[in-house]
Amino acid sequence: MLSAKNITKYREGDVVLESVDIDIEPGTITALIGPSGAGKTTLLNILSFSLFPDTGTIAVNDKSFSFPYSDGSIPQPSSLVTMVFQQLFLWPHLTLRENITISGRVSDAELSELINAFGMKNFIDRYPNQTSLGQRQRAALARAIALKPRYLLLDEITSALDIEQVEVVAKYLKKLKTGGTGIVAVTHLINFASRISDQVIFMDKGKVIERGTKELVSKPKNERTKEFLEFF
Amino acid sequence: MNVFQILANYSPTLLGGLWVTIQIFLLTSVIGIIGGIALGALGARYKELGTFVRVFSFVMAGIPLLVILFWFYYPFQTILNIQISAFATAVIALAFFNVATIAELIRGVLTDFPKQYIVVAKMSDLSPQQIFSKIQFPMIFRQAIPSLLTTQVFILHATLFASLIAVPEIFRVAQNINAVIYKPIEIYTALAFFFIITLAPVNYLAYALKRRYTRDFSEY
Repeated sequence: MLSAKNITKYREGDVVLESVDIDIEPGTITALIGPSGAGKTTLLNILSFSLFPDTGTIAVNDKSFSFPYSDGSIPQPSSLVTMVFQQLFLWPHLTLRENITISGRVSDAELSELINAFGMKNFIDRYPNQTSLGQRQRAALARAIALKPRYLLLDEITSALDIEQVEVVAKYLKKLKTGGTGIVAVTHLINFASRISDQVIFMDKGKVIERGTKELVSKPKNERTKEFLEFF
Repeated sequence: MNVFQILANYSPTLLGGLWVTIQIFLLTSVIGIIGGIALGALGARYKELGTFVRVFSFVMAGIPLLVILFWFYYPFQTILNIQISAFATAVIALAFFNVATIAELIRGVLTDFPKQYIVVAKMSDLSPQQIFSKIQFPMIFRQAIPSLLTTQVFILHATLFASLIAVPEIFRVAQNINAVIYKPIEIYTALAFFFIITLAPVNYLAYALKRRYTRDFSEY
């Protein structure tokens, strides 16, 4: 399991996350929803060890790290928990194919499958800046999947995808879930969240306001959650 | 005597001057690139050294190169009570400037390198060596190469200042020839041709490297 307990993070004196708890079971999909600035991205960064909290504990499988960290070497990001950043960070000097295969962890057959699944055949050998944002989002997702992570964190990776492509991504995420991958997806597509998720968490102003099953989207209990979901 | 006759008659003398120019340039360039990259990399890693690099570069950029050259030629040697040849003085002064410029360039590129590219590389389980060779170095190289080459072309032009402290480089040689035959228009035109012809490969190399390695990475 990937879990974070009592996570608090400050940025320039302002609280970004306040006593946040989250548990991600393998083989489940969790949707993180909430307004911009709620702390969703910060939470993903912390879960992937690309950012450290000021206080709190993160546990991955059997390893636990308490912060502020003072116990030996600093935990490093690894393929165990892989994240697709909102800005993607595809390496610009490598083609999309090279971006996906650089780790050496994907076989030719697996690469072909990813190329077909995400419709990348026509642009796989282009450089990132020669492709559209939607194409880059698919490539970044493919790069992360190629690492075969135990936990996959996705930060608004469908923002530039059309309805058909979102459906393709949704199907693939369900397939990964069946294969035992624990997935957390930050999304503003509430319909997408309710269709694929086992757990939905609503965050606002650095706090978890409400959490529940996918039913939360249609039947929120908290007033703030209701207010936010009214717009969808 | 026209331009081509001057080039033909004085080519051994001009070539001798050119060889001195090339020696100054190569020494200055090698010292500048190695020293600048090393100092810049250390400056990006250690905060205090980074501050030193910024101040050093700021000071060197603020002083005209000619003043630096003369300072090394007169006050520096007087203060230390040493005597250095004009050739070595020119190399030291130009190398100082080159090191300062390249160090700040490299420090800036390394400091501003988006950390998330490294984070993603770590998530891809690349080793520190692989991260450097496959991700950091190619990206930094592409970003730094245009400014680095521009600086080296500037250094090549700046070698002419060495003539002012009596280094027998090509400009000094041209001045000497002019003192004998007094044909300034022809001589300095010949010098311009001489530079265009001899520097064409250097300029072409700079152009080719820029074209090869500095593809626009802007994403839309």
